[in-house]
Amino acid sequence: MTGTRRSPATGAFTIAGLVFLWAPLLLVALFSFHSTGSLTFPFEGFSTRWYDEVFSNEVISTAAKNSLIVATSTALITVLLGTLAAYGLTRTSSRLRGPLSLLFFLPITLPGLFIGIALLVAFSRVEWSLSLVTVTIAHLVYVFPFFFLVARAALERLDPALEETAADLGAGRWTVFRRVTLPQVWPVLVGAAGLAFALSFDEFVITFFVIGPDSTLPLYIWSGLRRTIDPSINAISTLLLAFTMLLFVVTFLLTTWGERRRRGRGLTEDPLVLTGPAEGTT
Amino acid sequence: MSEPRVRLEGISHRFGSETVLRDVSLDIAPHELLTLLGPSGCGKTTLLRIVAGFERPTEGRVLIDGEDVTALPANRRPTNLVFQRPTLFPHLDVYSNVAFGLQVARVSRAEQRERVAEALALVRLEGYEKRRSHELSGGQMQRIALARALVKRPAVLLLDEPLSALDMKIRLEMEVELRRVHRETGATFVYVTHDQREAMALSDRLVVIDRGRVEQVGTPTDVYSCPASVFTAQFVGNANVLPVEVLEAGERDALLRLGSHTRRIEYRDSEPGPAWLVLRPEAVRVSGAAAGNGTAESLRGVVRDVAYRGTGFSYRIELSEFETHVKAETRAVAGHEVDQHVSVDWDADACWLLPRDEQETVPPAPTPDEAADEGPNRLKEETKG
Repeated sequence: MTGTRRSPATGAFTIAGLVFLWAPLLLVALFSFHSTGSLTFPFEGFSTRWYDEVFSNEVISTAAKNSLIVATSTALITVLLGTLAAYGLTRTSSRLRGPLSLLFFLPITLPGLFIGIALLVAFSRVEWSLSLVTVTIAHLVYVFPFFFLVARAALERLDPALEETAADLGAGRWTVFRRVTLPQVWPVLVGAAGLAFALSFDEFVITFFVIGPDSTLPLYIWSGLRRTIDPSINAISTLLLAFTMLLFVVTFLLTTWGERRRRGRGLTEDPLVLTGPAEGTT
Repeated sequence: MSEPRVRLEGISHRFGSETVLRDVSLDIAPHELLTLLGPSGCGKTTLLRIVAGFERPTEGRVLIDGEDVTALPANRRPTNLVFQRPTLFPHLDVYSNVAFGLQVARVSRAEQRERVAEALALVRLEGYEKRRSHELSGGQMQRIALARALVKRPAVLLLDEPLSALDMKIRLEMEVELRRVHRETGATFVYVTHDQREAMALSDRLVVIDRGRVEQVGTPTDVYSCPASVFTAQFVGNANVLPVEVLEAGERDALLRLGSHTRRIEYRDSEPGPAWLVLRPEAVRVSGAAAGNGTAESLRGVVRDVAYRGTGFSYRIELSEFETHVKAETRAVAGHEVDQHVSVDWDADACWLLPRDEQETVPPAPTPDEAADEGPNRLKEETKG
């Protein structure tokens, strides 16, 4: 049957596409283990010297620590505010529901450059000195819509009759949220928090405008590349890549697991799709 | 009636500009199984949700055991609701589902165990404690939902079409179960349904609701044999309603004119003048045209539809003289065929008369078949009007 046979060109095209996507990343990873400082072939043997250099460099570890602090604070605050916003908006019958929801996630369309400049202008107007605090605020602006979209989708999928049932059985609002709503959505919320963390951890453009004297890991890499081609950049990039991918794997597993767990009979919606926000980080 | 368990006083309710309930007053006695019966969108579910505390009525009061609960939210009322779809918490097993209301009320663990076991025994699902909702059939889920509501020992148990999502066979079994549970618990049940067969099979009393208004309250037998309105006659008994003129009103009988025919019926206390004749399908007799030729009293008609019912036939007959059809159910072994001319007669002692305005000659449009368009979505029902 020729109808179902694919042309060999399709396979070749797919492979070419995958090579194009992954080869640069794999090269970076490969040369991070290079025994010499050369960034080009021929490859002259393995060594972990660049990793040793990265771990013993205090500037790098400070930048990494800053990145962790900012990403963690951003993720935690986003979870709190985003969950409240999404829960409130999905449980109101107010006419403002649509417009408000739009206002919450529309910033997703703003270019980072624009957000960065706008916030820089705003911070200097109110005379806030630039620090990790301003970076965290900027990251909140950037990350919030992504979290909000995922959280809203998860909360909208819940059957409101379940919450009514809980109320009917004597549960107050907070008890309903804690014992019925949250147990059904927390894996998705944790997953979305991982996404928020990853987005913040990798963020460069906005951070560049509002950072002040401190440095984060992406900023360090960028400034390092400007000075010299330092092979330890390869090591940092590889670590960053591995960390981010790990985060996404965990996020994805949690989300699918939570979705499967939540789905009982009579609740046959589509599986949760995380693709939109996931694309935003690489 | 002693002190009513639930008293509804002048309840009116509007969603925006749409009025869904108009001045409903009702007393519900303790231990009673009362059914709110009406077509989709008549307001019966809204009325139930007002009793449960999910809706605050625009006007009127709700009293439970003499106490005004109108302002209390659902979680502080001594009522429990079984929803149309089984709303088991998917993240909890059967035990935790049933125990939910007790845990929220901080009942001791020992008592929880005891009462959950009791409730599961009541719905005959002992040993299902560890199951999850996706491991249960629809009927089992609804029985768990029933146990979960009953474990709270509510002053009133509210049931919002709890069987409508189930297959007919399971539905009939569940009706038997519900009657048994009602007998064994002695609880007060308020049951909402659009299915008149289910309502008659279950209820001590029926409340027929149409367009937000109570049409009739009474026992199933009362409502069936003495409908208070054309709507009730058609909705509850699927009756034929024909325009007649009462010519002579005697003490025990009446002389009717129906088109060019006259007919004497057994009827007490009729009044001369225009009236609606309510005829149950099972009181209508159908015979071949030739047989009817002799009596001037018989109506002529043409069979338009025949359905075999096992115990007999259902007919839809177009009356030649009127622009209307009559439904008939016979027990005959042999049936008539479509397009066959027949004569139509009825049992003289099975009639019911309702007042009619002179100008009205066609009864209000009969309600469409509810079962066909009834979705599982309650919200849809409420917005339909």
